[in-house]
Amino acid sequence: MLLEIEHLTKRFGGLAAVDDFDINVAEGEIVGLIGPNGAGKSTVFNLITGVFPVTRGRIVYDGQDITKKLPDQVAKLGIGRTFQLNPLFPDFTVLENVTSSFELHPHSSLFDIFFGTPKYRRNEAFIQEKAQEILELVGLAEEADELAKNLPHGHQKMLGVARALATRPRLLMLDEPLAGMNPGEIQASLDAIRGMRDNGITVLIVEHNMQILSLCDRVVVISFGKKITEGLPEEVRANQEVISAYFGSDYVC
Amino acid sequence: MNDVTKTSPAAEEPTTAKVASETRSRRWPAMSVLSALFVVLALLPLGISGSYYMHVLILMFVYIVISSSWRVVSISGQFNIAIGAFFGIGAYAAAIPSVWLHWSPWITIPLGAVAATILGAALAFPFARLRTIYYAMGTLFLGYVVINLITAGGKTTGMSTGLGGVESLFSSRTHYYYLTFGLMIISMLCMYRFEHSRIGVRMKAVSQSHQVAASVGIGERRNRILAVAFGSFFAGLMGAVYCHYQGVASPASYGLAATLWIIMYVLVGGINSFWGPAIGVGILMVIPEFFFRDLKGDLPYVTAAILLIIAFTMPEGIVGLLKLTRDRVFARHRKKKEVSPDAVGD
Repeated sequence: MLLEIEHLTKRFGGLAAVDDFDINVAEGEIVGLIGPNGAGKSTVFNLITGVFPVTRGRIVYDGQDITKKLPDQVAKLGIGRTFQLNPLFPDFTVLENVTSSFELHPHSSLFDIFFGTPKYRRNEAFIQEKAQEILELVGLAEEADELAKNLPHGHQKMLGVARALATRPRLLMLDEPLAGMNPGEIQASLDAIRGMRDNGITVLIVEHNMQILSLCDRVVVISFGKKITEGLPEEVRANQEVISAYFGSDYVC
Repeated sequence: MNDVTKTSPAAEEPTTAKVASETRSRRWPAMSVLSALFVVLALLPLGISGSYYMHVLILMFVYIVISSSWRVVSISGQFNIAIGAFFGIGAYAAAIPSVWLHWSPWITIPLGAVAATILGAALAFPFARLRTIYYAMGTLFLGYVVINLITAGGKTTGMSTGLGGVESLFSSRTHYYYLTFGLMIISMLCMYRFEHSRIGVRMKAVSQSHQVAASVGIGERRNRILAVAFGSFFAGLMGAVYCHYQGVASPASYGLAATLWIIMYVLVGGINSFWGPAIGVGILMVIPEFFFRDLKGDLPYVTAAILLIIAFTMPEGIVGLLKLTRDRVFARHRKKKEVSPDAVGD
């Protein structure tokens, strides 16, 4: 297992946003974490990436306990992520957003950067080239010199993905990649996510849009901070508890 | 989609070459002004040797470095309202061993810079948890604490009257002129490199979104501490040099008033530009000293008026105004030169 999470609990005051939650992700899988609004999906993400401290439970990534790690340390271990809101550096251009995200591979030391050693210049040239490639991959090459904050919403989300790819993640966590997208953009995003998996990246997706089900190898459903079911997409779609969590128990027939 | 994937490197080359030549041609006005200033300032002592004006220029070099160091820290999103205190830490770290232990200025000046760096890094550590207005408030009180410690320091710091008798480095003002001029150039080169390399990119990333920065491996805390340590080095260096030049370190020069003047130089010059602080110091400090010395008593009011005018009419400061003018001139220039109608974009 690449990611193993046991008994994850997060309390905000008296409210348990995540309550005794377990999830496992194997290398090469696409796993969906779905649930209605406010179910605790994004909180799970923020706990894995160290944005919030964990109240109880254990997060193991690639055999290493990362429960207490800070966000930048988690990123260094190969976990990339996108954000639901404000996924980018607004005052950088599209290209700068991607080049600045190339921090880890290759990494330049402060000495190399300050004195502009050949190693630093090689790294920067490599980064420029790779950043262009990534922008072409996500279809933003035309807008490379545009300020990121001027992009339309769907393109901002794609730029968020491009930034995450720049860290060369082994595990990529996408936070509501489809929210606010039109049907055409949704199809393009689904194709892009499939492409990432084919490139050997393990993907964990948080989404409340059920269209994501078609993409997933396995789906975990969360409601009020608790796991209500887990299984193949078809099983989950037919599950009574899931339907009642989404639409209320009146709609269960 | 097809169009995007088709963009081959060969098709891109002419545009990148064009952009490069354009940035080069956009840079030359600034470069020529800089080299002309360098020559004038390097030769100036021949004309005004030993005069009061030389003192003003030494003061200018010192404040250009300090204001720039404040701005270079601010690119990481930290608005430090205690810069005067770091100036003071450098001064007292040099003055105390000089007066009481009779150490050579060649040791105490680096000592001042290093002391400010270490204290800056140590103090930045707890402050790295604070952002925006909370950071500003925190550092504001930090400035008061430093001044209070100095005035409460008994005989060692000379209390509120200051510590006199700091050994002078040179007997001639011209030597001080070249020392501060040289230190200014080195400091500005270092700060330019800091900002215009990946280090500066990290700082700007942290300031725009610490969460996004952390998600790609740019840690907020270590970069913010690095920025403060780096900036404090130059503030401390200039504090030490200046107190050896004046022969005295006095707490009044390092309080909130000093800090506010430094911030004002930066805002008037332009906080978003590397040369903003230097231009702000030139306009608010040097021009009044040279041309309006009779006005000195009213200077705070004149300065307040200038700041208000700038805040309302050019929020990017004077450099912002210069850039706008340059872009307009270049746009007109290009319009005349190019025949193709689709090139006339802006």
